[in-house]
Amino acid sequence: MSNNVLVELSDALADAAEKAGNATVLVNARRRMPASGIVYASDLILTADHILEREEGIKVILGDGTEVSARIAGRDAGSDVAVLKLERAVETVAEATKSPARLGQIALVLGRPSPNGIEASLGTVSAIGGPIRTGRGGMLEKYIRTDSISYPGFSGGPLVAADGTVLGVNTSGLANGAAVTIPADIAWRIADTLVKHGRIQHGYLGIRSQTVEIPAASQKALKHEQATGLLVVGVENDSPASKGGLIVGDILVAVAGVPVLHHDELFTRLSGDVVGKSTPIDVLRGGQPQTINVVIGER
Amino acid sequence: MNFNGTFTQVIDELVQRVMPSLVIVRGHRFGAGAGIVWDANGLILTNNHVVGRHNPIVILQNDGEYESRLLARDPDVDLALLSIDATDLTPLRPASVSPRVGEMVFAFGHPWGQRNTVTRGIVSALVSAQNRRGDTLPVVRSDTPLAPGNSGGPLVNAKGEVVGINAMIIGGDQSVSIAASVAMDFVNKALSKKNSEERTNQRTPQDVI
Repeated sequence: MSNNVLVELSDALADAAEKAGNATVLVNARRRMPASGIVYASDLILTADHILEREEGIKVILGDGTEVSARIAGRDAGSDVAVLKLERAVETVAEATKSPARLGQIALVLGRPSPNGIEASLGTVSAIGGPIRTGRGGMLEKYIRTDSISYPGFSGGPLVAADGTVLGVNTSGLANGAAVTIPADIAWRIADTLVKHGRIQHGYLGIRSQTVEIPAASQKALKHEQATGLLVVGVENDSPASKGGLIVGDILVAVAGVPVLHHDELFTRLSGDVVGKSTPIDVLRGGQPQTINVVIGER
Repeated sequence: MNFNGTFTQVIDELVQRVMPSLVIVRGHRFGAGAGIVWDANGLILTNNHVVGRHNPIVILQNDGEYESRLLARDPDVDLALLSIDATDLTPLRPASVSPRVGEMVFAFGHPWGQRNTVTRGIVSALVSAQNRRGDTLPVVRSDTPLAPGNSGGPLVNAKGEVVGINAMIIGGDQSVSIAASVAMDFVNKALSKKNSEERTNQRTPQDVI
């Protein structure tokens, strides 16, 4: 049979598996079967936190079969992301996607749980959601689910688009054993922070709040549509919020210019780079918008 | 790329091409497996575990039923070669190269007795399975759904070439097919043994010299 669209698609999938597979590694850091990881920079491996059951003697097996020692450069249990530093640099680095996953898109789930070669399964992106609280006490802004089979040892491996770029990091550690994919932009950002600080800093504001509807008149004053905000019902003494000048009765509507509609979004906004920095917080006070700068503390 | 209807069309063509080579092999009183027409003159390849103890009945796509002769069987590779008295059959061609992880595959068979079923997947891994003697056997693992009744049927690539013989029994809950290279070796060995036996029996002039 001559080449046709089916053969072309089949070849493209095998090419994508090969391309991303070269940057997918085996991570051996537990007693049971090894798991997977992604070469995220020339000497850094992005993987799942829950597969790291020991800190010493971590071995990584590359796409070409060579074994390299690694140590933990940073880890965050809440998002189940960890970064390993390799003993030496490697050549093949994974390429993160430039266009985020779309519902219905076909995608490969790749892993390297055995030294014998790459393993793959095919599915479609069946849900994109978030934010959700993870089973490990963190918050994930966005997640991807697929209908593909996740073989044992696939945690830490990539979800791959048909062009071989990485859509996200697969893990069974966030949702009671069910496979979930952390979108690449989020995973990469967490990994960048982990490389810099070794851990994810969780911000502390020191307020108690509840979600309230923003009256139409106040929405007008905000100059953008926002249905809800967070009514401050308590401010801790000596907290970053009280030092910054937040008071009971303020309706918090944005952090660093990003609208905050619910608690989960505040939680997400307070993670990472804002910790220790003076951050503009937009509130409605007496129905009028006001910006207050608060130096975000650390929990 | 313009998929304007052609995608469904090529899948339909693939199915039309492969289906005539799919047979039913009934080797036990209950249940049946699948088999592959391996050459135009009646060679049928299937799993050893499908054959059972007797010469099984082979049912072609035209509903023709044939009592087969068992030419060879090997429990270590879970393959058996049958022969039926039929000609002008449509055989499948094995792929000349080993499959790639990620490429599309289609399994043909009769899962749970549902006749002529096609399931789709990709090659998940090229691995070695251990047979009961502890020897390693190259197999193709895929994410194609397989069930009892798929055994002995073909796993084909996007070109309709055989990349494996479905044999879930080896893989437990994973979909496993015996690599086409193993099948080719098995058939070649079986045929050369058969030919040499026939030469001995016939005592043709060449053999006397």
